[in-house]
Parts: sequence; C-alpha cells; structure tokens
Amino acid sequence: MEPLAPDTEVRVAVAQCFRTLSTSTETEDIISSLQTLHSFLDEGAESRSSSDQRAEFRRAHFTRTLQFLVSNIQADWLPGLSAAQRTELWDGLFLRGPPEQALLVLMEGISELRASTSLDLLISVTEQFLQSGRLAALLWSYCLLTAPSDSPQLRETLLARIVALPDLTANRLHLKNKHCFCPQQYYTLLASEMLTALERTCQALRDGTDCSLTFVSQTLGKVCIQGHSGPVFAVMAPRLSVCTRSDMVWQRVCWKLLQNVPQRWMESVLTGLVQAVSGPEAFGRIVGNLVITNKKAQFVITHKLLLLQYKYETQVLRTVLGYLSADRERRPLLIQVLRSLSQAWANPSAVKHTPLEQQLYVSKALLLSVRLLRDAELQELRSELLQCMLGGMQSHLDSSVVRIRHMGMVVGECLSARMDINKTKLKFEYDQDEETLELLSMMTPISGEEPEAEPENGVTSPLEASEKTTQNASSENKSKSDPDSDLDSDDEFTPYDMSADQEMSKESPPRYLRDCLEIFISSEDSVRLELSLRVAEGLVRKNVFAAREISVQLTKVLLHMENKYSIRGFLSLRQATMVALTVTDCIPVTQYLTTEFYSMNYSLCQRLDILEVLALAAQELSKPITAERSPPVGVPVSTDLTPYPGDNPVHWRQVVERRIQSKTKRLTKGVTQPPAKATPNRYAPVAGHFFFPLLSNYDKPQVTFDLLGGDHLVLGRLIHTLGLFMHLAVNAPIAAQMGRALLDFVWAVRYHVDQMVRRGVLFAVCSVFLSMPSQTLLVDLNEQLFETRTWLADVAEGDPDEDCRNLAIQSLVLLDKSLKKQLQDQQALSMES
Amino acid sequence: MHEPGMSRPAPSPIYTLRGAGAPLNTLHFSCHGGDPPLLFSGSGKGAIHMWNLNTRRAEKVVEGHSGNSVVWVNTLRGTDTLISQGRDMRVCLWDLSEGRSALLDSVWTGSVGFCQCSLLETSTGTHLLAFAGQEIEEIKIIELPSKTPVCILVPDAKLGMVMCIKLWQPDSGPGPLLLAGYEDGSLLLWDVTQRAQLSQAKANPEPVMCLTFDTESLRGVSGSSEKNLSSWRLDGQNNLQLQDSVTLVNPGVSQLSVRGDGKLLASAGWDHRVRIFGWKKLRPLAVLQYHTDLVLSVAFSDHQDPQQRLLAAGSKDQRISLWSIYNEGADTG
Repeated sequence: MEPLAPDTEVRVAVAQCFRTLSTSTETEDIISSLQTLHSFLDEGAESRSSSDQRAEFRRAHFTRTLQFLVSNIQADWLPGLSAAQRTELWDGLFLRGPPEQALLVLMEGISELRASTSLDLLISVTEQFLQSGRLAALLWSYCLLTAPSDSPQLRETLLARIVALPDLTANRLHLKNKHCFCPQQYYTLLASEMLTALERTCQALRDGTDCSLTFVSQTLGKVCIQGHSGPVFAVMAPRLSVCTRSDMVWQRVCWKLLQNVPQRWMESVLTGLVQAVSGPEAFGRIVGNLVITNKKAQFVITHKLLLLQYKYETQVLRTVLGYLSADRERRPLLIQVLRSLSQAWANPSAVKHTPLEQQLYVSKALLLSVRLLRDAELQELRSELLQCMLGGMQSHLDSSVVRIRHMGMVVGECLSARMDINKTKLKFEYDQDEETLELLSMMTPISGEEPEAEPENGVTSPLEASEKTTQNASSENKSKSDPDSDLDSDDEFTPYDMSADQEMSKESPPRYLRDCLEIFISSEDSVRLELSLRVAEGLVRKNVFAAREISVQLTKVLLHMENKYSIRGFLSLRQATMVALTVTDCIPVTQYLTTEFYSMNYSLCQRLDILEVLALAAQELSKPITAERSPPVGVPVSTDLTPYPGDNPVHWRQVVERRIQSKTKRLTKGVTQPPAKATPNRYAPVAGHFFFPLLSNYDKPQVTFDLLGGDHLVLGRLIHTLGLFMHLAVNAPIAAQMGRALLDFVWAVRYHVDQMVRRGVLFAVCSVFLSMPSQTLLVDLNEQLFETRTWLADVAEGDPDEDCRNLAIQSLVLLDKSLKKQLQDQQALSMES
Repeated sequence: MHEPGMSRPAPSPIYTLRGAGAPLNTLHFSCHGGDPPLLFSGSGKGAIHMWNLNTRRAEKVVEGHSGNSVVWVNTLRGTDTLISQGRDMRVCLWDLSEGRSALLDSVWTGSVGFCQCSLLETSTGTHLLAFAGQEIEEIKIIELPSKTPVCILVPDAKLGMVMCIKLWQPDSGPGPLLLAGYEDGSLLLWDVTQRAQLSQAKANPEPVMCLTFDTESLRGVSGSSEKNLSSWRLDGQNNLQLQDSVTLVNPGVSQLSVRGDGKLLASAGWDHRVRIFGWKKLRPLAVLQYHTDLVLSVAFSDHQDPQQRLLAAGSKDQRISLWSIYNEGADTG
C-alpha cells in the first residue's frame, strides 16, 4: 500500500483519536490518544512525527482538537485522569500549540460555558497561558511572519480577544474574577509581553532576520483606543526610553512600531505616550520623526494636543514643544505651531468664548514655544509676534475677568522681554499668585528635564530606575534642608497680628463730625485728614442726629475725595464711612447716590464705589441688630492689609451664595439652631429706595457712560448689586414687584458677551427665585417662566464659563423647588376645600 | 508670608500690677528660690517694690534712695540680698532674709547718668559689679562684698558718656569681658583683666540707650533713640561685627531683653509698645499694646517651668503688665 500523503495521514490519526476520546472508557486508551495528539506538537529529534505532519496538524487540526476537548469537557474520562496526567496531557495541549489558536478557543470556551468546574478548568488553563508567557509567544509569532496568513476578520477577532480579555473574563466570572485578569494586572502584563516581543525583534534584526511589527503595533493601538494607555505606557515608556538611549536598533524598532499603528488609533497612542514619557528627549527617541512622516501624528501633536484639548499637565506641553524644537527637520513645525498658538491667543473671540482653563493652556504653550525659539527665527517672526502681542493683550486686558487680565499681562511681559523691542520691555503690576508664577516659569528652562538615571550596563529595569531617582531626590532634599535647620528656629513661632502697629501721630483726632467735614473740604494737612478719615465712621455711628444733618453733604464730599496723600487703607475707610452714612440716614443718601450713579462726569471707579456702598449698606440694614454688635467705632483694625472690597466683586457674591447653600440645605436638615429672636428688618421698608432708582435710567447712554455699550464692567456689577438687593429683600412685601422688574431688566442682557455680566444675570435670577414668594412666581410670571427655563437649560449646557453653568443649574434647581412647593400647597388647599 | 486674616489677634496682658505710684524704670524677676515667684521693680520715686506673683500684690516696699529714682535692681544669693542703684549716686545692698529689709552696705558711684550697673557672679559669694564712674567716660569695676576696686576702664578716644554696660564671663578665655555703649553710638568690648579695648564698632548714630547680649550665641542688639535696632556679633577673635538692623515703626527703645532660652527678644519702646522678635533672625512676632506712656523696662522671668515664664513690662504710666507669650503649650494651643 502506498504511504498516505502527510495531510491525510494526520487527518486519519486525529480522527482516530477523536473517536477514541468520545467513545472509549478505558483510561489507557484515552491517555494514549492524548499522547498521540501531543506528539504532533513535540519538536526535536525524538519526536514521533515528521515536521510536515506537525505543520499540517498546527495548520488544520489544532483548533479543531482544542474545540473538541472543550466540547467534551464534561466527558467521564476527564475526572478519571490524575492531576499530573491532566496537567500534562490536557492542559499541555493548550499551552504548547500555536498560541493564537489556543487563545481563541479558550476565550470562546469561557464565553460559552456556564459557571461550573469545567469553566474553572478553562480559567485555570487561561491563567497558566498568561503566566507562562504565551502572549509574548503569540506576539512574537506574528513578528516572525510564521503565523498563518490569516484573514483580516480572524486577525480582528484575535486583537479584540487580546485587548478585551479582562472585560470578557469579568463579564463571565463577576466577583470570582482572578487577580491576573484585572485590568491593572493584565495590561501591565500585556505591556511587558509586548516589550519582550520587541526585544526579541531587536535581537532578530541584529542577527539579520526580517521581522514585522504590524501586529504589535495593532495591539498597542487597540489597547490605547480602548482607554488602557495609562498602565501600558507606565511600563513601556520608561523602558523604551532607557533602551533607545544608545541603541540604534531599539530606536528603529520603536519608530517602526509607532509608524505601523493604524491611523485611527494613532491619536490615543500618542497622547498616552506623551503623558508617560519623562521629557522631550525621551519622546523624541521613541517617536523619531513620526510627526513629519505621518499626517495624523502631525495633526495630533501640532494641533490637537495644543489647540483643541487642554486637559493635559504642563509637562505634556513641555514634552511636545521640546520635541518639536529638538530636531532640524521638526523646527519648521515649531514655527508653524507658534504661529497658530499666537493667533489662538490673540483671537478676541477666543478670549470671550473659550473656557479660562483653555486660555491658560494656550498661554503656557505660547510662552513655552517662544522660549524655544532661536534668535534668528525670532527675527523672522517678529512682526507677527508683535501684532499678536498687541492685539492679544488688548483683548485680554479688556476682559472683566481678573485672571484673564493677569494672563494678558504676564504673556505680554514675557513676549516683550523675549523680543527685546528697542531694549524696552513691558512691566505690569499683578499679584504673584500660583497661576502667574506658573506662567512666568514657562520662560525658564527646567534644568535636568530628564530625571531618569543613566542606565548601568545597558539596561536597568524601569522599576529600579525610578527607585533610584526617588532615592536621589530624597537625599538631595535632606542635604538641602540640613544646614538651614538651625536658622529656621524662628519659624517655630507664628506671629501675632501686628497690623495695629502704626506710627504714632502727635495730633489728636477731631471729635465732631462737622469738623471732619470741614477738614475734608478745606484742609491741606495730610495728618489731620488721615485722622479725620479714621474717626469719621465712628462719629457717624455715635451721633446719629448730627450725622443726619450733614449726611448727604458728607457723602458727596467723600464720593469725590481722592487719595491725595496715599493714606493707608484710604479706600476702605472712605467706604466704611459712606456705608455708615447710608445706614444712618438711608433715604436721602440712597436717593443721592442712585441719582449720581447715572449722572455725567463720574469715573467708572466712582460708579463702582456707589454700587459697592449701596450693597454693603443694604447688607448691614438687613442684618438684625444684635446687642453685642462689634463696635465700629475707631479704625478697622487692619486697614492697610484688607484689600479694598471693590477690587474683588466676588466677595459678597460668595457670602450670598453661601447663604443660598445654607438655605437649600436647611430644607432637608431640619431645624438645627434655636429659633432666632424676632427683630424688625430695617431693610425691608427701604428696599425700594435702593432698588428702583438704579433700574430707571440704564438705557440712556451718555457721553461719558454707556452702560449697554462699552462699560460692561459696571453693567455686570450693577446687575450683581441689584441681585443682592433682591436677595436681601426676601420676605419684604415689595419683593414681588422687585423680582418682576429685575427679571424684565436682565432679560435683555441674558446673552451678553461678557461673562461677568452673564454671571451677574444668573445671580440675579437665582436671587429672584429665592426671594420671590412662590405663589407670585407662578401666578405673575407664568409666561416668562417657561422661556426662562429654556434659557437656563441652554446656559447650563453650553456656556463656556464654568461659573455661569453652575449658577444656571442652581437657578434651575431653585425654580423647580419653588414651583413644586407651590403646586403642593395648591393641592393641599384644594384637598381641604 | 502669613495672611493677615489668618494670624492670631494681638495678645493682651494676663494681668497688670498697679500701685507703684511712679514710673517703673527697672524690673527684675526672681522665681528661682523658694515660693513664691517674685518680681522686683524700681520706681522713679525711689521705691523698690517686691511683687508676689501668686497674690499679685506688693509684698514689701523698700524706700532706699532717699526719694531719688531707682535705675536698676538685682538680687544676689537667691532672693536674700537685693542690690539697687539709685540716682542718688549710690548702689545699695539690702538684706531681705526672714522678712527684713535692712541696708547692708552701700557703694558711692559718683555717676550722675542713667547707666545701669552690671553684675557678674565670679564664684559663690563673690560678684563683680560694673558701674559708670564719676568721670563721664569711665567704668569702674569692684568686687563684692569686699568692695575692692578691680579696675577702671577709660576709652582712648572721646566717646561721650557711658550709656549702658554688660559684664560677662566667656566660656573660652581667662577673664570676664565687658560690653559698653557710649553716647556717640559706639560699642566697645573690654577685657577686664587686661584692661584693654578688644574691639570697637559704631553700632548706632545716636547714643546707645540700651543693649543686650546673648552669651550663648555671642550675638547682641543695641537700641537708641531712632527707628533702628542694630544687631552685631562677636567672632572668634572677639571682634565686633555689625549685622543687619531691624527697623521699628516708631523711634526710641528704652530696654532690650533676650529670653533665657535664647528664642525671643523683647524691646521696650518709647511708642508705648513692647515688641517681640524671634532671636535667631530677628523676625517680628508680636506687638504688645497696653501701656499709655513710654515703656521703660522689659524682663523675662527665669521661672524653671517654661510654661510659667512671663514677660513683664514697666512703663512711665506707673503700671507693670505681665504677658504670657510663646510659652510652649501655654498659649500656642
């Protein structure tokens, strides 16, 4: 008889085995058939099968065999095998054959089986599969091109199985999931298996063998797009960074790896990598000139990371821009990036309509790239940069948000210093807070941008390397702090408040308010003026009748008073006195102030002062008079240190918001405080005097003052103040009228371009909902409420300013609560009747 | 920097002692010996009050210098012997043991100035006393109780009147050293045994009103009628080296005192305020406001329990204020 062709022979043998396994009950038969199957996998000389047979088995029968085993997992003979036999013969088949086929069969089995011992068996085989490095074997087999030329579908499935293994097992095993299938463990393992495959690739390349990294790249891409770039690059990035330091083969392998990542996954790979590497040098070594050769990578690195997204740490910006600047071929991209950054920064519409965080991000990027520019390149870009600087600064300084103004100042300063315009540079005054300092720090290169340790004997494991650096860092810290420790001992004492330590003056302060007035009007003596200013508030409060005689006159003088002698705490002293006057003699003074607010020839600052004084006075009036009210007589203790409240419009808003919070909480908390003693509200009867005059003239632009035009700073503050008046008028009979008028007023400006105005509007709406009786709200504002709701929902969703969004949400909540209460009350009433 | 809003409010005195009836030129704590802790004060009308700090009453009043202002008081041998210096040009020794207040001895100084004496214990029972002499520039040193003259120190150059002196025994070196501040603002370091000037520095432009010296860290400060406290140190070769000065808000300092543990410096200001500084870096820590007239003297108590260590300030407004400040656990909690 002619010997059979190897494929037939194998098929016959495998069929024979299957038959035995499915029918026989004899353990020996079973064992011998399993051994026969094993023999097709055995390599080496003593193998019972020829290499042709083995190849044929691997190609055509291995998957079938495993599927057969899995489907017969309930067979009677399986429990009959001893543990050693089972491990050797049954488990072994899964662990020794082509890994991709084994993995597919295992995953298929796991997803089909219900919880049972059989499933446990498959799970333990899968665990072994992972632990024995079969993933690396799988990846490596694809690198070597020895894997069967598979269909795209098969490859896609395989990738999906590899990447989604934790999800598949978790779905099947629920709480009984194994430790090594947890995402953190699994992806770390996968990352090191990929590294192993890459290392073997490097070795093979050195030995002159061709390899393909397509499959590894695809795996990497797929892992990253599924959101697991963090754990993967935490392992891979430090290692790649170390390996590529001196080894050209490693560098080529890395470049190839990234080049082969499919376009649709490129972005997530790059963003993951750029966050994980330690600095621009490492990034450059790993990525190479990918940014030039790959369009997608170029878009991600030069555009998306810088201009579209803004969630990354500053280190990412340093890495990206440092990377672009580090190579001659990449430098044109840096210049291109700088152009688009400067355009983005200077764009007045962006200043108004993009979130503040993004503007900060763009500013940082701009400063970083300007720092990286060479002088020659700078010359080339000078005119553009200058234009950007001037236009951008104008739109930043126009903004009513303090942080944006600061940003404009810092960037302007840095740009002008860098460009060296006729040896002059800009200098602004701004607070050195965390944000401005961080921006300023962009202009100074970080020394030792790459903290990784120089690897000893070629390769250090990433873990060791990181340990080493932390040790270095801590020992440096220690040595740094040691010599100082002796000198620091003064710091063990916290200083007391020393603000009262003022220079002593020889003059005695005036004792009558009229004297103060005289001095304010006519005196040129700075000492007397200062003393009068310091005692004025106390005198107003001490002698109410005297104060009423001259209240308007004194208010007028104070409103026009300038700090000619740079008296410390001038603004707050003046303000406190005006507030005291308003409180003491409410109606005439409010009348005067509200009229003056819309008159000609006042500076914006004075108008803001008026609003501030009215707001503080209203606040004070609305507070119940308590017996032990802190005596306002004399100087506020820390006059020179308190910032003038007018500089910070947020403060009373915060106060009120805190009140809103406490109010909303109280509904659920129940009464925690003893009921307060009833005292008359001094504000309620006069609320209208504060409120309505300010509403009357807003739409009449004057030569010097255009509320609805350029002066939106005042508009924002005005609306805030009106909102505050509204809020304080809670429970006052006039509140309903005020609320209606206020809603009408703010309706016109609800989509104002300036976010401060929008915040004010939302604040005012909030306070209307808080203060208006819910019945009036529903009955009187019936039609408006629907539109208001739609508008609020719109703002809550789409406003670029975070505060606006929050306030809109708060308003919605308040509105709903108020309506619900009203409806319930109505129901209760109708039930009763 | 601390924020103004966050810092603790300025402290207040824990109690005050009234009834001296005259400005209080000098204060001296004596909390070492048996109970109770005592505070001695010397007034502008010649009375020395011995305040019991437990009852907060004057336990004894010694009228010693025939109505002339008492400029300095101290104690020898626990609290048994009191030594006081008055503007009647006499230094008197008083026996206070067993409730007595008898005059033991007196020394005629001949000095019409305000310079306070300085006392140094050389061995048990014997002290050196330095005081300004009859001539305006001279400093005399005598031994007590024998009253043997030790030396007379007169500077080579014209420096004006002696304003303040401090006698101490350095750890290294055989004999005691003496620091003296003069009317022209100079500081001189004298070696008492050699009778030689070791070093000179122009610490202040105005007369040196007061000085204090920490023998541990070899640093000192001196104050005058202007706004600056100048600080200086001695290097290894006993050279005076001027260091950074501290600017005060208002001019004029009457007295300076370093706490026993070398952590705090207190200054008695003409602006009615006592200022507290960290001694290491002279960082301002607190301004104590209570008095309504010049503060003339400050003293830290030598109580063994650091928590009971007080600061006393005596003022021209005839009151003594006592403060508990930066005592571990006592006021920081």
